[in-house]
Amino acid sequence: MLGELINPYYLQVASFILINVILGISIYITLSTGQLSLANAGFMGVGAYTSALLTLNFDFPILIGILAGTLMAGLFGIIIGIPTLRLQGVYLAIVTLGFGEVLRVILVNWESLTKGSIGLSGIPHLGREILRTFKELGFNPGVMGLQNNQFIFLMVFLLLLFIVIGIIWFFKRQNRSRIGRAFAAIKLDEKAAESMGINITYYKVLAFTQGALLSGFAGALYAHVLAYISPADFAYHRAVEILIFAVFGGSEVIWGPVFGALFLTVMPEVLRFISEYRYMIYGLIILVMMAVRPQGLIDVHLLNWMKLKTKKRGKEHGTANQKSA
Amino acid sequence: MRKHFRRFAQFTALSSLVLLSACGGAQSSGEKDANGAGKVTADIGVISYISGPGAAYGEAITNGLKLANEEINKKGEVEINLVIEDSAGKQDQALTAAQKLMNSKNVTAIIGPTLSTEMNVVGPEADLNGVPIMGTSTTAEGIPQIGEYVFRNSLPEALAIPASIDKAIEKYDAKKVAILYGNDDVFTKSGFDTMKKAAEEKGLEILTIETFQKGQSDYNAQLTKIKSLKPDLILASALYNEGAVIMDQARKMGIDVPFVGGNGFNSPEVIKIAGDAANGLIVATPWYGDKDDQKVQDFVKKYEEKYGKKPDQFAAQAYDALYILAEALKNAGDADRDAVRDALAETKDFQGILGSFSFDKDGDVVMEPTVLVIDEGKFTVFE
Repeated sequence: MLGELINPYYLQVASFILINVILGISIYITLSTGQLSLANAGFMGVGAYTSALLTLNFDFPILIGILAGTLMAGLFGIIIGIPTLRLQGVYLAIVTLGFGEVLRVILVNWESLTKGSIGLSGIPHLGREILRTFKELGFNPGVMGLQNNQFIFLMVFLLLLFIVIGIIWFFKRQNRSRIGRAFAAIKLDEKAAESMGINITYYKVLAFTQGALLSGFAGALYAHVLAYISPADFAYHRAVEILIFAVFGGSEVIWGPVFGALFLTVMPEVLRFISEYRYMIYGLIILVMMAVRPQGLIDVHLLNWMKLKTKKRGKEHGTANQKSA
Repeated sequence: MRKHFRRFAQFTALSSLVLLSACGGAQSSGEKDANGAGKVTADIGVISYISGPGAAYGEAITNGLKLANEEINKKGEVEINLVIEDSAGKQDQALTAAQKLMNSKNVTAIIGPTLSTEMNVVGPEADLNGVPIMGTSTTAEGIPQIGEYVFRNSLPEALAIPASIDKAIEKYDAKKVAILYGNDDVFTKSGFDTMKKAAEEKGLEILTIETFQKGQSDYNAQLTKIKSLKPDLILASALYNEGAVIMDQARKMGIDVPFVGGNGFNSPEVIKIAGDAANGLIVATPWYGDKDDQKVQDFVKKYEEKYGKKPDQFAAQAYDALYILAEALKNAGDADRDAVRDALAETKDFQGILGSFSFDKDGDVVMEPTVLVIDEGKFTVFE
């Protein structure tokens, strides 16, 4: 029964959506202090390569690889963050973009370690490792009426879903804390925030590092879901792709980049039936969006408006109707 | 206002449903035809690079496949239904396309994807699911070794490059070579690895190894160094767009030794871009459109009629690939994935437009490449 409902294709797409959502949130965090950083693709590469190399060469478990990748990206975030955060606006964007390029060139040229532009293949796959662990524990997915590959993708999907929910919950909470308020203050006016006694360097580096940690984490997951990475995956176009999640969805509230990542990952799949025209339509949608809603699709006003709507409805029609709202 | 919103919500919900169902349709038809005894009907998935900067490759491949498909269905021994998906040249897109084909469309086998990087991701997944997959343009090392279900009919660099180097040594009595390659591209990097290995095996003295990057426009630094070392041959692992510029600048500088290129260098575009400077480029290719063979000439004619241009090696390889698969389907007698895999693995001395073709034990290519040289602005067979 369950077996017929689960299609690895949909789960695969869902997994990519969730990884992209993490990337979207990573740029949202740095944007929430008013810094435009394009280094996220680079941090993603750091995370992916660290985890892949550790699990490939030293047989570390995936969990440790992913953690190490995340922390390594965070470390890079601090190292890059401290000197570059003296810069603002477009200058910061240029320097962070430069970091991504430098990293890519290092990955291409450090052949003894990274195999250059050929990339790393045969990276342990997250789902397959989970399946193996379960089998060693004496559990067979057949009990649930699932085939092996259905089980693999279901597990990856559920794992990622929990992670993403956890991350969104964490940053929603953080937004309402002292740190979140400080971020908002810095975004609105750095000078004013500083005169109110906020240590702006600390908070800016914190936001930058959080962004780096998240991108590194997403990168490590990407490596273990795809089982193959190459330097070209973390180049300029990836940086722009991540930025578009935030630009399209909106960068004022966390739901903006989440929605942006969701929509922009699903779109090319949904448009598959028009094959070669699909990227034209995709481009057109983004273009129209930019013209009509330059602040992004989801902003504070929209959220408030939606809240208002649902509340009114609940009063007028009773609770039974709330589901349809 | 509320009504409007509700309308809007309904409309979005409905339209997204329609969209989703539109891509969901078409169930498998992997069963034997009831009346035509022994006639096999099968869905074959195709993953191709149809949109994006490399769309020209995907277009040639799908054109070749469609042409072969028409002919095969007309013959009536096997009925093939192509399900074509775009990968946009990206690994994650290629993987989702493959998942869709394997799980939603239940295809018997897959042809593609276009790039070796994509195959590195899709291959293991297809192998795990037990779906035979055949690359028609993946030339990098180690592709068929991914698994039992992974095949290719594209001439790998490991066969092409040594063949062309051999012929060049024979003709020019070369002893010293210089190597030039693009180090930030999978294709040219893997071509370089093969070149270096081949040169070492044949006991050539490698004077220098120079690198360049994608999109570079000035190669004077590398070429000046190469010129001062006076090599007998220059081995260049480059794609045609950079390669043509390199040849042009080399000839202007007075380097007149022959160039040996990899698969990516093998394109009529080189002549268009570099003109006379392209003379003396030696490449090995599985495909030679001017070959004096009825099959080849028929294919070129039909292709030109249908698509208005001459077929390149990608179209030719795709065309042959579908014929090889059709042959395997016929021999398997059933659209069962395992049966088709076994039949494919047994392919031997298949006579296609590329010549005589067999798979080795890994599912890699066994065939004799043709070595070509550009002479007076035309590709001719290199003797």
